[in-house]
Amino acid sequence: MTRRLAWLALGLVVIGALVYGVTDRSTATAHERAQKLGQTIMCPACSGESVADSQAPVAVFIRHQIADMVAKGESDEQIRDSLTAAYGDRIILNPPKSGVAGLVWVLPVAVLVAALAGLVVVFRRWRTPLDAHVTPDDVDAVERARRAEGS
Amino acid sequence: MNVSASLGTLAVALGFASSAVGVITLAMGLRTRQARMLKAGRAYAGMALAAAFLAFVVMERALLAHDFSLRYVANNGSRATPTIYTFASLWGALEGSIILWSLVLTIYTVAVCVRFRERVTDPLVAWATLTMLGVSTFFFALMLGPANPFRVISGLVPADGNGPNPLLQDHPLMAIHPPFLYLGYVGFTVPFAFCVAALVTGRVGEGWLAITRRWTLLAWGFLTVGIVLGAWWSYEVLGWGGFWAWDPVENASFLPWLTGTAYIHSVMVQERRGMLRVWNLSLLLATFSLTILGTFLTRSGVLDSVHSFTQSSIGVWLLSFFGLVVAVSLGLIAWRGDRLRAPGRIDSPLSREGAFLANNVLFAGFAFVVLLGTVFPLVYEALKGDQITVGRPYFDRMTLPIAIALLFIMAVAPVLPWRKASAELLRHRLLWPAWAGAAAIVLAVLAGARGLAPLLAFGLAGFAAGSACRQLVLAARAARRNGASIFGALVGRANGGMVVHLGVIVIAVAFTAATSFSHSNEFRLTEGQTAHIGGHSITYLDTVTKKTARETKITARVKVDGGQVFGPALNQFPNATQTIGTPSVDVGLRRDVYLTFVEAPKTPHGSALIGVVVEPLVSWLWAGGLLMAIGTLLALVPGRRRIPTAPVSEQPVPDRTLTPA
Amino acid sequence: MKRPAVWVTAGIAVVIALLVVVLATRKPATDRLVKSPLVGKDAPAISTTTIDGSSRYALADQQGKWVLVNFFATWCVPCQREHSELVQFANAHAATNDAAVVSVVFSDEVSNVVSYFKQRGGGWPVVRDDNGAIATAWGVARVPESYLVAPNGLVVIKITGGVTDDFLEQQIARLESAK
Repeated sequence: MTRRLAWLALGLVVIGALVYGVTDRSTATAHERAQKLGQTIMCPACSGESVADSQAPVAVFIRHQIADMVAKGESDEQIRDSLTAAYGDRIILNPPKSGVAGLVWVLPVAVLVAALAGLVVVFRRWRTPLDAHVTPDDVDAVERARRAEGS
Repeated sequence: MNVSASLGTLAVALGFASSAVGVITLAMGLRTRQARMLKAGRAYAGMALAAAFLAFVVMERALLAHDFSLRYVANNGSRATPTIYTFASLWGALEGSIILWSLVLTIYTVAVCVRFRERVTDPLVAWATLTMLGVSTFFFALMLGPANPFRVISGLVPADGNGPNPLLQDHPLMAIHPPFLYLGYVGFTVPFAFCVAALVTGRVGEGWLAITRRWTLLAWGFLTVGIVLGAWWSYEVLGWGGFWAWDPVENASFLPWLTGTAYIHSVMVQERRGMLRVWNLSLLLATFSLTILGTFLTRSGVLDSVHSFTQSSIGVWLLSFFGLVVAVSLGLIAWRGDRLRAPGRIDSPLSREGAFLANNVLFAGFAFVVLLGTVFPLVYEALKGDQITVGRPYFDRMTLPIAIALLFIMAVAPVLPWRKASAELLRHRLLWPAWAGAAAIVLAVLAGARGLAPLLAFGLAGFAAGSACRQLVLAARAARRNGASIFGALVGRANGGMVVHLGVIVIAVAFTAATSFSHSNEFRLTEGQTAHIGGHSITYLDTVTKKTARETKITARVKVDGGQVFGPALNQFPNATQTIGTPSVDVGLRRDVYLTFVEAPKTPHGSALIGVVVEPLVSWLWAGGLLMAIGTLLALVPGRRRIPTAPVSEQPVPDRTLTPA
Repeated sequence: MKRPAVWVTAGIAVVIALLVVVLATRKPATDRLVKSPLVGKDAPAISTTTIDGSSRYALADQQGKWVLVNFFATWCVPCQREHSELVQFANAHAATNDAAVVSVVFSDEVSNVVSYFKQRGGGWPVVRDDNGAIATAWGVARVPESYLVAPNGLVVIKITGGVTDDFLEQQIARLESAK
């Protein structure tokens, strides 16, 4: 009983802390928005670094452009579009979600689902069918044995 | 005649010849069942080692003596480079790194011959040695062909060399990161060789994999340290404040680590229950194949990376070897696979077997995601002609749920018994670890952490740490009961494993903190001006320029928190098209203050652009790596001997040494 | 399923074989020309002052002749190498005025550029681009990169790593005859 209480208390503490910790959300400043966008744009002169991380001259330039466009009030979509117009699709660090490229998002989930399904099938096949039935004779035999032991 | 070149080429040729002849001798010995020939294999392995060592010595001497008549030395050495980097420049570029690979491989081959010398006439050992010599032949052949390190400069010998890539001269970690990585990669050749041997001879059910388990663990340990060192080097040198970018080359080293980790866990199921034999063999074969694929991706130039070596025809050779390895592996599994299926079954998903199975599914999934993300741009471009990028945000998002699930399993699995567990048992055993997890979440919230994913990660990390500590405490009590020292509680596979888990947990906490709660900004400061960020203050003092023959270095002097002065710099090398930044880091126990010099002042005493990142808990990453290394060493020490009457399905290894014909 | 091991390994073999084919047929990173999405489209506008501050330069005013838009920096070694080629090209077309060059400064200081041109010659307009607005509009990743703009204002080629006079003449001749 005390153990159940302990687990219950534990659950309450965890949920309380999580609720407190998750709901405290401040709105993003312009700088933070530009920063977040910058982390999804690749620096075209580097090997996979984002413009937010790279110190290459072109990365500094693109960061300025993003900051300017954010200040002008353009949306994330518009900013991405104007950059891809000049640099091509490869500048967005995330592969597009539609078309053939969308496969890279879909395949891992599909494989995971398939793996889980496979596990379920395999476990079901491993479960030995219960073909033992308890008869009244078995019960008597057990009772006799227990009495014999007790005496 | 160039002495170094001739001697070096002779050494490589000798290595190639002895490996090749060794392969042929062992093959003939196996065919004709002649013990003498099988014993001769050891001699050939020894000769190959001597040859590789000679090549290594010749090249190092040439580098340290600045013998620029060798093309490799002219390209990678220079008089102005400090000695330690000159020594390390052996593995700083393609051809020299193959020398290192061959040396490590021949050392492992000889070690295998020595360890199994009692059974040298056993066909299984012979096949394993044959396989290792075969791989050796390939790498020596690379040095005779596309990656010849001993080519001579045609024409005038230059007075000075180009020096190593500037990024490789920045930090002493460059000297140790590749050797550890190679000790790991090449180490996986040993279990691969024994897998091939076991499959070819059909003798898979005899616990041979258990015997080579220590070798696999050792290679895995080296690879772990190599990867952590690589992340540390990346952090200290590359200047973006991060340590893991899911760069193709980082992924290439991570893939064999993932499959290797899966193997380390699932092999325990094989030992206890005799199951998953085909799966374990496949994991080891895949691990070795991935090291070859990784080598190909790193050196062939098909992917853009900071590690890209210059293009050469080595790509074709490596890709062909990869194809050969995969073909041999798949062929062997197809041939013998059905014979290996064990009749056992896993009774309940809620058991340690079930947890290891889940662990393997997750690690395999993890490897799949990383591999997919790395090669997808190549496949897409081949199909559609357009270029897309799969970058860090993709990997972060896809691997986060897997990492969270793994933390959860790491917490629950150590308390699970074999065969079957009840919810009651779990409730009893997991109570204290669960409170540790709750405490971790509360502490994190109090420390200012916000956000569901990080808090969940911290909580599960605490949970898992509690579980690991519980196991260690129980082991300590058992050791004391049996009269052994407390140290006995730490050695052995299970306990060493718990220490490794603790290392992983420390890394997970550090990773979460550093990536979720860092503050970064750039400040344009005039001399003497101070900026504030993340609870710290930085004051720009001035800029100092130093011109040497090697480089022009412009350093900004920045005072952090009114105390120590740090010097992030911009280096201009005469042959590079861009200036290369050198960050400067104020390392602390709770946080690092990471400074970069973004833009130098345009006028004397003008304003400079200083980048600052305040990252919490970064030094815990390196501490976690150290903990993992210590845990691996503890796990390698033989623990308490298993009670003879405990049920295992590992049969004693029969002695099949050949009787003389 | 009879002998599942064979089927599973066959399936994996097919996937890996495809991967190997893709990897084998891929050209190394250094050889690949980066395709510019600007090719075939209208050239992004350049409308700014030259580095000496004296005059205004607008790319739109150059309609009717071939323009080579060249992004460079004085610290860039391949840029230094291509400079003489640019001088040759500019001089060859100076009389007929059917082709012109304009240089855009990439992450460099005006004083460096002025002395650079004084040393090496070259009388074509040079514009500054301090915050990189022009470079990012043209999709410039590093220097040197040049774009050839046709008389009708469309971008026709992007050249990275340095231009040569011969290459430019070849391309112009090819495109003129194709019209």
